[in-house]
Amino acid sequence: MDTFAHLMAGLTAALSLQNLAFALIGCILGTLIGVLPGLGPAAGTAILIPLTFKLDPTGALIMLSAIYYGAMYGGTVTSVLINVPGEAASVVTCIDGYEMAKQGRGGTALGIAAIGSFVGGIFATIALVVVAPPLAQVALRFGPPEFFALMLVGLCLITGLGGRSLLAGLTMAVLGLLIAMIGIDPVRGAPRFTLGIPSLYDGLGFIPVVMGLFGVAEILLGIQQPHRQVIKTDLASLLPSREEWRRSIGAIGRGTGIGFFLGLIPGVGAIIPTFVAYVVEKRLSKTPERFGHGAIEGVAAPESANNAYANAAMIPLLTLGIPSSPTIAVLMGAFIINGLTPGPFLFQERPDLVWAVIASFFLGNILLLILNLPFVGLWARILHLPYAYVCVGTLLFCVIGAYSLQQNVFDIGVMIACGIIGYGMRKIDMPIAPLVLGLILGPFLEKSLRTSLEMSAGDFSIFFTRPLCLTLLVLAGIVLVASALRLPPRELREESAT
Amino acid sequence: MPTSGSKALKLGWQVACLCLLGIFVPALVTSLGYSLTDALGPGPGFFPFWLSLIGAVLSAAILVQVTLVKAAEGNAISLAPDWRMVLQAIGVLIALAAAAALFESLGYRLTMLPFIVGVLLILGARSPIAIALTALAGSFGVFHVFYYWLKVPLPIGAFGV
Repeated sequence: MDTFAHLMAGLTAALSLQNLAFALIGCILGTLIGVLPGLGPAAGTAILIPLTFKLDPTGALIMLSAIYYGAMYGGTVTSVLINVPGEAASVVTCIDGYEMAKQGRGGTALGIAAIGSFVGGIFATIALVVVAPPLAQVALRFGPPEFFALMLVGLCLITGLGGRSLLAGLTMAVLGLLIAMIGIDPVRGAPRFTLGIPSLYDGLGFIPVVMGLFGVAEILLGIQQPHRQVIKTDLASLLPSREEWRRSIGAIGRGTGIGFFLGLIPGVGAIIPTFVAYVVEKRLSKTPERFGHGAIEGVAAPESANNAYANAAMIPLLTLGIPSSPTIAVLMGAFIINGLTPGPFLFQERPDLVWAVIASFFLGNILLLILNLPFVGLWARILHLPYAYVCVGTLLFCVIGAYSLQQNVFDIGVMIACGIIGYGMRKIDMPIAPLVLGLILGPFLEKSLRTSLEMSAGDFSIFFTRPLCLTLLVLAGIVLVASALRLPPRELREESAT
Repeated sequence: MPTSGSKALKLGWQVACLCLLGIFVPALVTSLGYSLTDALGPGPGFFPFWLSLIGAVLSAAILVQVTLVKAAEGNAISLAPDWRMVLQAIGVLIALAAAAALFESLGYRLTMLPFIVGVLLILGARSPIAIALTALAGSFGVFHVFYYWLKVPLPIGAFGV
C-alpha cells in the first residue's frame, strides 16, 4: 500500500461517525482548556486522558490529539481579549493581538489567528504525510545503539534549548531518567528503589506525575495570580479588510514555514517558532514601528507558526518515538497506556491507527476553523467563569485520572506530591520539560543502552564504531556545547526576555 | 537558575539543590546494592548508578554556582506574594489529601461532595445555589458520566454510594 492509499484508508476511518465525534469533542474540550486561564495544553491533555481510558486506541488518540491542537488555538482568545496567554506559545500574540482588541479590532485579530492557524495546521499535516513514511523507513534500519544515541540527541535538544540554564536542565533530565528506574527492572526482573512499597513495583505512574506537575501545580499557581478583566471589543467583524489580507498572506506563509521547520527539532518548544515568526515579520516590514501597536502581521505570523509547529511536532514522535515537548510527551504517554509504542515500528504494526490519527489532523483543523470563527463570542464569554469553578473542575479530573488508571489511591498521593514539587519548581523557574521527557524516555533509553552493551559484551566502543550512532552522539555533544555557549540569536533572546 | 536576583530566589534554589542531593546521594548508595554488571553485560544497578552520580555532581555544581551569586537587595522577587492566597493553596492541598484518604472508604460521590463545597468556599465562592449545583454535578453527575457511560472505574464506598 502506498502513502496515498494509506491516507485514504485513514481518512475513511477518521470520517466514521464515532471518530468524527471524538475529534469534535476533542477540539471543543481543547479550545475550552486553552481559553480557561492557567491551564496549558500539557495540563489539559493530561487531565482529560481519563475520558479516553475505555475508548478504542484510535478514537482515544484522535480525541487527545484534537485536545492538543484545540488547546494550542484556545490560548489565542485569552491573549487577545485579556492580554494573558492561555499557553506559552500565545505570549507573542498578546503584543499586537491585545492592541488590536483595544482598538476595537478584537474580532479581526481572532479571525486572522483562526485562519492562520488553519493554514499552518493543514500545511504541516500535508508535510507530515509526505515526510513521515520515508523517515520511518530510515528509522527502521536503526539498531539499539542508534536509538540510544537518537534519544540522547532528543534529550540534549530539549535540555539545551528549553530552559535558561543548561545545568538545571541536565539535572532535571537526569532526575526524570532516575525516577523512571523505579519499579521492576525490565531486563532482569529485580525491584529497584521500591522501598518495599508494592504500589511502586510497577513504577511511578507517568499520568499521576504529569497531572501533579502540570494540573495541580498550575492550579496552585493560578490561585496566586490576579484575575484580569475581559476587554470590550468588536467581535462581530471577524474577517480582515482587503488591506489587512494583503499584509497577512505573506506573514501566514512565512509563519507556517518557520513553525513547520522548527517543529521538526525536538526541544525547540512552541514559544520559539512564534517569536522567530514575529521577529522575521518585524524585520521584513517596511513599517516596523506598527509592531506593538496592533499590526495584523504580528498576530497572523505567530499564530500560523504556532499551529504549524503543533502539527509538525508530531513527526518526531510518530516516526522516531521522540517527544518534542511536554505536551507531546503526554500524548506519548497516552500511546503507551493504549499498548502502543510510538516510533517507526508503529507504521508497520498499526498502519490503520497511525494513518487514521494523521487523517484526523486534517479534519481537526477544519473543525477548529468552524468552531472558532462563528463561536468566538461564546469562547469570550467563558473567560468570565470564576476561577474557583475552573479550579474545582480541574482537580476533579486530576483525581479521577490519577486514580482510575490503576485504581490505586497511592497514585493520588503521588499526584499531590508532584503538584507541590511542580509548584516549587515553577516558583523558582526550574525547568519541568526535561524532567517529564526524561521520565517518559527513561525505560526506552535504558533498554537500548543495555541491549547495545549486551550486543557488544559490555564493550562501549559499539557506540563509536557505528557511523550513524557516532554522528548522532557528536550532534548531541554539539547541542550541549552550543547551549552552554548560548548560541541562539541575540535578538530572539531579547524578544523572549521581554 | 538565578544569575542575579533576590535572596528569596537564591534561597529557593539552594533548598532545591539540597533536596536534589537528598535524592541523588541515597539513590547512588542504593544502586550500589544492585549488581552493576552481570554475565550478559550491564546489570540492574548500572544505569541508576551513573544517573545518580551524574545527578549528584550536577546538583552540587548548581549549589556552588547559586551560592556564589550575589543576591540583589533591592530586586526582591517574592516567592510568597500574598499570605491569603498561600493559605488558600494550602487549604486546597489539605482538601485534596483528605479526599485521597477517604476516597475508597467513602466512595467517589460521598468524598467529592464535601470536597467540592470545601474547595469552592476556600477559593472564595459565596453563592449557595452555585456551590450546591456544582457539588452535585461534580460528585453524582461526574460519577454517572464516568462510571456508567465511559466505564471508568471509580470507587463505591461502604454505604453503597
